[in-house]
Amino acid sequence: MSVISVNKLQKFYKVHQKEPGLAGSIRSLFKRKYYDVKAVDGVSFEINEGELVGFIGPNGAGKTTTLKVLSGLLYPTAGDVSVLGYTPWDRKPAFQKQFSLVMGQKNQLWWDLPAIESFILNKEIYEVPDAQYKQTLDELVDLLDVSDVLKVQVRKLSLGQRMKMELIAALIHSPKILFLDEPTIGLDVVMQKKMRDFIRQYNQKFNATIILTSHYMDDVKELCQRVIVIDKGHVLFDGALDEIIKKFANHKLLTVVFSKEVTEKELKKIGTIKEFEFPRAVISVKRATASTAAAELLQNFPVEDINIEEPKIEDIIREVFTGKDLA
Amino acid sequence: MKKYLTVFQLSFQNEFTYRLNFILWRVRNILRILMVFFLWNSVFSGRETAFGYTRPEMMAYVFSVLFINTFVMSAPSNDNVGSQISNGDLSNFLVKPINYLHYWLTRDWASKLLNILFATGEIFTLYIIFRPEILFTNTTTFLFSGILVTIIAAFIYFYLTKIVISVAFWAPEQPWGLMFVFLVLYEILSGGIFPLDVLPLNIYSILKFTPFPYLVYFPIKLLVGNATYPEIVNIFIGSFSWLILSKWISIKLWKNGLKVYSASGN
Repeated sequence: MSVISVNKLQKFYKVHQKEPGLAGSIRSLFKRKYYDVKAVDGVSFEINEGELVGFIGPNGAGKTTTLKVLSGLLYPTAGDVSVLGYTPWDRKPAFQKQFSLVMGQKNQLWWDLPAIESFILNKEIYEVPDAQYKQTLDELVDLLDVSDVLKVQVRKLSLGQRMKMELIAALIHSPKILFLDEPTIGLDVVMQKKMRDFIRQYNQKFNATIILTSHYMDDVKELCQRVIVIDKGHVLFDGALDEIIKKFANHKLLTVVFSKEVTEKELKKIGTIKEFEFPRAVISVKRATASTAAAELLQNFPVEDINIEEPKIEDIIREVFTGKDLA
Repeated sequence: MKKYLTVFQLSFQNEFTYRLNFILWRVRNILRILMVFFLWNSVFSGRETAFGYTRPEMMAYVFSVLFINTFVMSAPSNDNVGSQISNGDLSNFLVKPINYLHYWLTRDWASKLLNILFATGEIFTLYIIFRPEILFTNTTTFLFSGILVTIIAAFIYFYLTKIVISVAFWAPEQPWGLMFVFLVLYEILSGGIFPLDVLPLNIYSILKFTPFPYLVYFPIKLLVGNATYPEIVNIFIGSFSWLILSKWISIKLWKNGLKVYSASGN
């Protein structure tokens, strides 16, 4: 059953354009040029209950704007959106009690008070019954291992501890839907891993529906069965992560180690040279001709070792965004 | 509503963590009152009345200003709401089942209560030091109506400032400039520096049609018992009208503002 449904969503911003420099600033005092930024332009997708979906795309692709519309912060320019049967921007309390938005760069905790005070406030705001609050809090504190710093002023916490606290504050009302915008931003690798483990557990344990945006491909690779690739306000791809490779990667990589010197010129006949530093070379060849190219290499060159690989998912996505062909 | 009670408690705790800020804010209030006190002291040197006020009447006015200003102007919302709109922190509240304006109204009241406690102590101390002759011709009617009008004044002030601050929705960089203009007008036109009836009559009669006298001057007029019964009625009508009007405008502006709110930052 789909809990989130987005149909032809558009969100345009009016932005005023400022000429560079002081003269431009003065001119913009009197006359301003406005233009529309199409942050989201015709995005559609459906998400089912319990799915963990990754939004990927470069900065300014429209990921965060989409999340903001889904959580009712922004009014769309056009299109239909339904989350749990509600129209998000009506901001109905019954809807708000069922989701949570976590933004890695925004904090909701009271800076000068211990985090526990913010939890208590959220408990009251979301009208969570005492017993449920206690149980949820104990569980979350346990999962995230923060019992020793609950009563420490938020300003004195490390970034990692604070992010954990932000998560607890966002989850104290046991939301069914979770929007995570860059939840691992600024965290060290160990902390990132812990955060990921937690997100996965939360998804499985409570059958929560989660949409996650991240710049770290590892987040997406580890967590999401399904990804939606967004660029310039459009959906480029929606499906399983592995499918991206089939769809966008029309080539494979041959990694070869040579036993004797070979020239770059000779190698170029096989395919596009990605890296070459004797004795190792990485050559990109068309997917369909990968095996013939490998055979040719083995036959005509002093090959010590050869390996045929799919290109890295990061590379594929980067190339998709920059609009360059891989091969 | 229990959620606002919790907000109230947290605000109280929060105020205490900014001790220095709090103390400086109080010092500012005392300095202002001293300034006004000495100003009038020199005006009254060698004469019995000035601008139709006797010295004890004026002293009653000056000391009431400290009290009323503390009550009406203690509003942490003014320092926070504008920036929360501009930098997108407002988003934290919009996704939750809580009313943002009520949230800040609650925080303001926590601050008012704390400040009023201190102001009472300060007024008492200043009184002990200077021992001015003070004239309150008070009755319970005046006292009650004075307190009621003061409470309404705090609400009018809240809604007026939110009207000013809502400009941040359309021009994120603007609220401080406009707020500054508003505060300067407030200081002069509300009666915080001198009672408004010392002004030429025509200016005074124009001022009566603005919300400013309802914030300080009229509440004091009632508190010190310097009004006729028809005046009391008029003050009440004006006060309620401004409350309703300012609330209506601010809610309307906020509704429209939220439509263009871009939840910027990240």
